[in-house]
Formats: sequence, structure tokens, C-alpha cells
Amino acid sequence: MSVHLIFKSLLRRKVVTALLLLQLAVTLGLVVNSLLLAGAARQLVEQPTGLELEQLLTLWVKPTSAAMRLEPALSEVINRQLAAVRQMPGVDSVAYANQIPLRQGGSNWNIFEQDRQDETNIESVPYYNSSESIFQVLGIELITGRLLTELDRGTTNIVMTEKLSRQLFAEQNPIGKVTNNGVVVGVVSDFFSQRYASDAFYGQILMAPLHRAEQGYHLIVRVAQGQSDTVRKQLTEVIRNAEPQMDIGTVLRMDENRDEVFRSEIGLATLLAVLSGLMLLVAMISAYSHAHFHALQMQKEVGIKRALGASKARVLLDVLSESWLTTAIGAGFGILVCYGLNISLAKVISIPAVPVWLPLLTMVLLLLCVTLATWYPARIATRISPATATKTL
Amino acid sequence: MIKINNLSKIFRTDLIETHALRQINLQVNEGEFAALTGPSGSGKSTLLNVLGTLESFDEGDYLLDGRSVKGLSDRELSALRNEKIGFIFQGFNLIKDFSLFDNIELPLRYRGFSSAERKRRVEHALETVGLAARRDYHPSQLSGGQQQRVAIARAIAGEPRILLADEPTGNLDSLMARQVMELLEKINQQGCTILMVTHDPDQARRANRHIQIVDGQLNDATLYEPLIAAGA
Amino acid sequence: MEAIIHNLKLSWFSIKRAPLPYALTLLILSLGLGTFFSNATLYYWMNRDPIPEKSQTLFMARINSLPGDCTDCLEPSRVMSYMDMQKMSGSGITSAEAAMFSSDAYAKTLENQQATPAKVALRITQRDFFALFNVPFLYGEAWPDNKARMEVVISKNTAVKFFGRIDVVGQDMLLDDQLFKVIGVLDDWSMLPRLYDVNGRRSAEPTEDIYMPLETAYDLAIQSNTQNSFTDVDWDGNIATYPHMARTNFANMLQFWVQLDGPEKIQQYQQFLKNMVADEKAAGRHPRPEGNRLDNILDVQKAMRATNDQLDAFALVASLFLLVCVVNASHLSLNRYMANQYEFSLRRALGASRWQLQGQILADVFVSSALAFVAALLFARLGLWTINALLPGTRALASWDWQMLAVMAVFVSLVSYLVTLYPALKTSFSPLNQQLKQ
Repeated sequence: MSVHLIFKSLLRRKVVTALLLLQLAVTLGLVVNSLLLAGAARQLVEQPTGLELEQLLTLWVKPTSAAMRLEPALSEVINRQLAAVRQMPGVDSVAYANQIPLRQGGSNWNIFEQDRQDETNIESVPYYNSSESIFQVLGIELITGRLLTELDRGTTNIVMTEKLSRQLFAEQNPIGKVTNNGVVVGVVSDFFSQRYASDAFYGQILMAPLHRAEQGYHLIVRVAQGQSDTVRKQLTEVIRNAEPQMDIGTVLRMDENRDEVFRSEIGLATLLAVLSGLMLLVAMISAYSHAHFHALQMQKEVGIKRALGASKARVLLDVLSESWLTTAIGAGFGILVCYGLNISLAKVISIPAVPVWLPLLTMVLLLLCVTLATWYPARIATRISPATATKTL
Repeated sequence: MIKINNLSKIFRTDLIETHALRQINLQVNEGEFAALTGPSGSGKSTLLNVLGTLESFDEGDYLLDGRSVKGLSDRELSALRNEKIGFIFQGFNLIKDFSLFDNIELPLRYRGFSSAERKRRVEHALETVGLAARRDYHPSQLSGGQQQRVAIARAIAGEPRILLADEPTGNLDSLMARQVMELLEKINQQGCTILMVTHDPDQARRANRHIQIVDGQLNDATLYEPLIAAGA
Repeated sequence: MEAIIHNLKLSWFSIKRAPLPYALTLLILSLGLGTFFSNATLYYWMNRDPIPEKSQTLFMARINSLPGDCTDCLEPSRVMSYMDMQKMSGSGITSAEAAMFSSDAYAKTLENQQATPAKVALRITQRDFFALFNVPFLYGEAWPDNKARMEVVISKNTAVKFFGRIDVVGQDMLLDDQLFKVIGVLDDWSMLPRLYDVNGRRSAEPTEDIYMPLETAYDLAIQSNTQNSFTDVDWDGNIATYPHMARTNFANMLQFWVQLDGPEKIQQYQQFLKNMVADEKAAGRHPRPEGNRLDNILDVQKAMRATNDQLDAFALVASLFLLVCVVNASHLSLNRYMANQYEFSLRRALGASRWQLQGQILADVFVSSALAFVAALLFARLGLWTINALLPGTRALASWDWQMLAVMAVFVSLVSYLVTLYPALKTSFSPLNQQLKQ
């Protein structure tokens, strides 16, 4: 049937058509924005971190006795724990640190080049107070200068990530530069520190005295490939055996830490994906029952058309093309809705702008769903016997 | 034009078989205006539907314009209906969402005519039935007689070889019925074969041939023979 | 009565005649309502006024006192220093005032010294905390002043957990190896959202187990477990010097709350802060621009950027989804009524008035509402469970009380009526002859 005729018949059922169009438009708008958010969440999660996530286990601990949180007891406990973990089969290396990478926030210092505070100051740069094994554990590489060793403990020597060094010193040689936090002796490859720091890839590593562990501390374990499950199962027990007076957190693999960092985004994207699925389902139910109802309601019309020489295929195409046209118009309005919703959502969360191809792709998806749902009732419509349908009651 | 040999049609339910048409033989020649009468349930409508290929049959053969319709696919049958047969129903069967123009144009669309050709034919048909001024009206805005004239216009717009009319005046008062009959006669004079089911003895008398059907069997009455009042 | 039963019976027949379209309508409607309810539940708990009897009088005060000459640093720090607290206290304008922060410790009782100490949540605060937030005491009372003392107030659950009973005033307990005396036990108390401390988006967390005097915590070098900001602090890390350092440096971790009864007091206190900052500036301190903040308790989530944006975004989408479902359901219900139109017309032809038919429609609405309500609650539970699993910090926000259930029931009825209204009107008010002729 011609587009013009379908239009006419749609116009004669204004309310039903308006309801249908509204629903299709909102569905398209929502599905597009859900896809966008899902894509953005995926990009966040899959961005390179500079770390070998599957080979790193992390664990937060805190002595339950206040005395053990102070030196010299603290160092003694940490060394005992490190030695015990190092003994475990499958463990490559282990380090302690005041915090672990791949978190939302944590312990930060500002940093600036001595005497150039105004030009170079950077707020919120994560610092890692750790041991010399930290470089090996995290698998970060030396870019220039040297790494820290136990000889640096108690000195003010620091190592920083490449991105931070470039920001502070631009193209100058960073080695030997003096900052408010110490003298730069080395630069290492970037890794994801804290999402909400000045920059996620800024980091400074030092080996200051421990003093106290009021917030507890972290153990980071690097395991041999494929060993993370085995080590993970025994890790808590090994730590407890090394020192029973210890509050021990959950062992997490680094990729689980990463998922935790982006949990809000992943969660919302998943929620919206579920909702989009429901919306498509609702659209399909609607298309189905609309077509089904009309197949009954329009029995007579179909009968007349058949009598006038329309083949079954033609009638099928008629019913389908009405669906397609409605969907296409609804989706057309949906493009407006999808930009509107995008703008509204951008006011509360960060969401990328709508690329042109996405609404079109979604429209195709919607058409596919609607076709699927219309097919069966449309088939029924074609089976109506024209002789019965044209008979007068 | 129409030739059927030993044609039978049986309606089957789980329990009973009803022989709607029993071994019917009928020939309708080009240019005839034949009236088909018979009591209710005698099989008139079934016969008309079979002739119009709206219903299939079980035995015998049906040749339309010298060609057997047996074994034709749905597509071929549809095309056949579209090109050679025009229908007029008692209940008019106009599509109420469409304007008169759109209603009449519909079968022409199936035929694949160009839009200019369709327009020409629709306008011509509307003129023939005297409704040219109302081409953009909707069926609900017309009287019954006018609606039936639109249905006739739709049936003749494709210039069919044969017009099948199922009690075309059944829902109309006598004045309107007369107008419709006059229209049909005019169309017949222009060369279109007409087969009309009717209850009305006067109308049957106006046709140039009168066929009676009782219990699914034909009784081909002779031309101008006085009508024996049917049971209805 | 008999008429009602008759109408209900007819509703049931019409459902039975076409169960699939009815089930689909109901499914769609309750899906939309369920999703909407699950989100509305979270939204309600997240944004309700937890202390309506005095929320208008509670304010969190902040000043922009951090060092460093920074002309475009207009926003004060989220947490205050001990020095700030001292300056903002003692105005004589407030009815109650208390500084506070959250921490944790490992606790055990004297009788059970060998036991593994259990982790407890601490609120480090001052005397007026309990008066500020209407915290009910079961036994004992708060500290008489803000001085350091080895005395704690504990929650009822904590008393039961450590002592096995609730009247434990006068009992001793060990917190991080220090001996404290219990001077008060709180009655059951919760605050949802926990607006007195929204830092770190922890407003959906439960209230604390143990309350400790602020001065004592400073003496014992207990620090905040949410936010410590040290600015220009020169400290060697020696625990012995911590109490002095923390009280005399910009070691910020405090939130400072005041109760101001009436607009006049609010204005006076604002003026007090203004004068104080002017004095500070005159004395060569407070180098940053004046940035005094006095945020009402109901605005504090926004001020501290602690709102759950994901929840807001989801709220928008869930409302749209409800709209789609309602639109869809009314579309389906229109189809359903049109299918029944012949029957409607017949009954009108037999003498049923339009209002009698409206009675029938109301019976339909009643039946649909009841079914949709049950189904929507089921979907809402499912939705809450999903949201709790996916979005952090929403677990405490998933319960319903009778009032909420009542509101939801009314809402379902309204929506069901709305969905049925147009189709019903259309079928019962369209011209009779047209329908019967078809």
C-alpha cells in the first residue's frame, strides 16, 4: 500500500497513532542513550592501565592492636607478613604500600618544583610509600634515572611517573630536580593511580619511614601467570598465621579493583541496558497486539482487498509496511527525544554526545523487533477468507 | 466467458459434510446479464464466490475466459480476480478510512497502473456512476445508494470482463435500488458481462437470463419465462 | 452491593474471554510501575528529610581559612581544622553546636580480654551532638562538657553485642587497647539519609556504634577515616607530638554543625562568621577570599557534591519508561475495549445508562489496580534487588513502610484509571447506532 494511503489511515486513528508514536520515540531515545552509556562505561573499563591486572592481588590489613600500628612493632609485623607471602608457591614478588593503584581516591600530596611553586604546583598527586620491590610487583618500567632501593629509606628521594614528570618539568631532564616532596632520582612508566586525582596517571613513589598505620596498609602480590586463584585461596590464611592480631580485608585481583572503581558507571550502564531490553520487549508486545488487534478489526478490509485482487503476499506486505512506516515515523521523533534525553542526562552524569550513526542503527534494530513481532499477526491476517470477510452480517 | 463443468463444493466440519454445490454445469456468455436466484442457503453466494475465485471448489472444473483456474497459485488467482472480475457486495464493502478516490483506485494499484492512468480511470468510473464531484468524500458521508455506486465504480474501473454482484440492492430502498439497477444495465450495455444474485423477482425479470439454484443444483430458467416465486 | 458483585463478575468474564491481551496489558503496566517504584523508593530514602521537626534549624558551617595566597580559591575545604572549630564555636548565638568526624577502632570488653577485638564505627564528636540531632538516650546521658574524658556513649546494638544486655552504664570497654567507661546507651536510632556526615558519599550508611569525645580522640591521635587534609603541615610523624600538631595546624578533618533557631539567629551567626573572618584577616591570617558557608542540613548533600548522580539519571529514565508503559497499556486497553464495544453497545441498547456502564468500568479499574499493584510490587522488589547489586551505596534504601505502600496503591489506582479512562469513554460515549450497525 502506498505511503500516502497508510498516512491517511493513520491520521484517521489519531489517538492510537499518537500513543504508538510517542512510545516508539521514547523507546528509541532511551535505547540510544543506554547504548551510549554502555559504550562509555566499556571504554572506561577497558582503557589501558599500565598494569598486569590478572597477575596482581591486593589485600588491605590493619593491626587490631594500637601498639602494633606504631614503629618499631609495625615494621617487624610487615616484614614477617612479606616473608610469609614470599614463601608461597606461585608468588613472584610482594610489596606493602600505604595505598594501591586503581582506586577512586586515596592519599595525595601536592607537588611542585622547589622555588617554582606558583608555576608548577599540582594538587592531589597520589603517593606510594612502599618498599623497593614495588617496581617489580607493579611491573612498571624505568624510563630514566634509577629505581629506589632500601638504601633510599629515610631519604627524600622520589620516583615519579612519566606523565607527572612531563607536566612538572616539560622536556627538561627530571633527574636531580628538587620538589617539595624530595629529589627526583628516577622516572617510571605510567600506571593508573587514582581516578579522581589531578590526573589518573600521576604518581610518586618514595620510601619514607612508616611511623604508624592508623589507616592500615596494603599488601600487593604479584603472582606467576595463571596462579592467581591458587594464591588467592591461601593468602588470607598465610597472613593470619604470620600475625593473628590483624584485621584482614578481602583479597581482590587488580581487575576487580578496577571494576570497583567504575562500579557506578558499569552499574548504571547495566541497569539501562536491562531497561532498554524491557523497552524493546514492550515495543514488540505493543506491535504484536496492535497488529493482532487490527488483523481482527480489519478482517473485512483485508477481505475486500483480497476480493479486489490483492495476493496474500501483498496483504502481508500491507500490514508490515504500516508497522514499518509507524516505526520509522516514531523513530524519527525518537531522534529528537534521544538528543533531548542526552542533554538532560548530561546535566546529571557524564555521557558522550550522540553520534549520528547510532540513532540510525537503533532504528534498524527497532524495525527488526517490530517486524518480528508483527509477522505472526500479519500472517493470520492474510489467512482470512475473503468470502467470509466480505459477507454482510 | 464462464464455463463450469460438474463443479461441486463441500463444506466439511468434524461432524458433517454439507454439499453446497452439487455437480453444477453452467455457461455464461459474453455480454450476458444473468440473474441468479434461489432460497436462503441454496448456495447462490457460494457459487458466486467460487466464480469470483474467492473460494475454491472440490470437484469439477471452472474455466474463466477459456482458462482453467484449477491449480493456480494465490498470486495468479489474485491477479486473475484483479484483472478480469469486478465485485459488488450487498454490504458495499468500501474501506471506510479511504476517500472515494482511494477506494476506487485500490484495485488499480494492485494492477500496477501508472498514477496518471489510475487517475484517468478513477475519474472516468466516478463519472459513469455520477459521483465525480465527491471524489474526496469518505464513504460514511454518503447514502447507501451512493455508496453502492462507488462500489460499482470500483468494480468497473479496472474494466473487468465480468461483474459479480451479490444482492447489490439488498440494503437499499426501492428508489436507490432502481438507480443502481439502471447503472448495472448501462454497464452491461457497454459490453460487460454481469452475474447478479438477487432476491427481487422484478430485478430477476430485468436481467436477460435467469438462473435458479435450489439445494446446490441449478435450474436454468429460460429467457423471459415468468418467474416462479422463490421460497425467499 | 449486589450491583458491585455483578460488575466484578462481568469484569472477570471479560478478562477470561481474552486472557492474553489482558495479561499483556497488565504485564506492561506493572513493569513500568515496578521500575518506577523501585527507583522512587531509593529516591525517597535518599532525599527525604530525616529530621523534619528541626531540619530548618540545622546548619553545617565552613570557612575558607586554608593557608596559601589563592585569589580564585572561593570554595572552602570540605573539612575544617581544629583551629577553625575553635573560632566558630562559642558565639553564644547557637542553641547547640558540635564538631565531629568518623573513625573506627577495635573494641572488646574487660571480661573478655582474650577475644579477638571487633571492629566498631566511631563518631568522634562533642556534647551537643545528641541534642543537635535528637538522639534518644535509653540509659545515662551525654558528657557534661566538651573536655577530654575516657568516656563513651554506645548504641543499643553495641551494648547487646559486647555485653549481652542494654543497661551497661558504668561498664568499662577497651577501644584500641584504651580503657573507656560507658556513660550512656542510646535507644534505637537511625538517620536515613545520614546527613550529618555525607562526606565520601556515605549518607546511606548506618549510624555509628560508639561516640567518643573529640578532645580525647585528638589526645589519642585518632584520625578521620573519610577525609584528612594536611596543608602546610610540618610534622615528623612522631605520635607523641600529634595532639599538639593536630590542634595547631591545618590538619583538617572536622565537620562543624550548629543549631540556629529562626532566621534572626541565622543572620546573626552569619554576621558572627563575617566579623570573625575580618578579624582573622586583620591579624594576617585567612589569606584566601572570604568563603563562609552555612549549609542547611537538607542542602548539604548538594553542597558537598554527595548526591548519587547515577540514581538521578536512572530516575529520569525510569519515569520515561513508566510513560512508555502507560501509553502502551492504554493503547492495549483501547484495543481491548474496542473488541468489547459491541457488547457495550448491546447493553446500552438494552437500557443500561452510561453511568451504569461507568460502574462497570470502575469495577474493571478496581480489578486491574489490584492485580497491577501486586505485580508492580513484585517487579519493584526485583528492580530494587538489581539496583542494589549494581549501584554502590543503595542497599540501605530499599525498604517500604506502610505509608509508602499506601501511596503506591493510590498511584497504581490512578494510573489504572487513566489507562482505562479514554478507551472506556470512547466506547461508552460513541454513538450507539454506528456501533450496532457494524
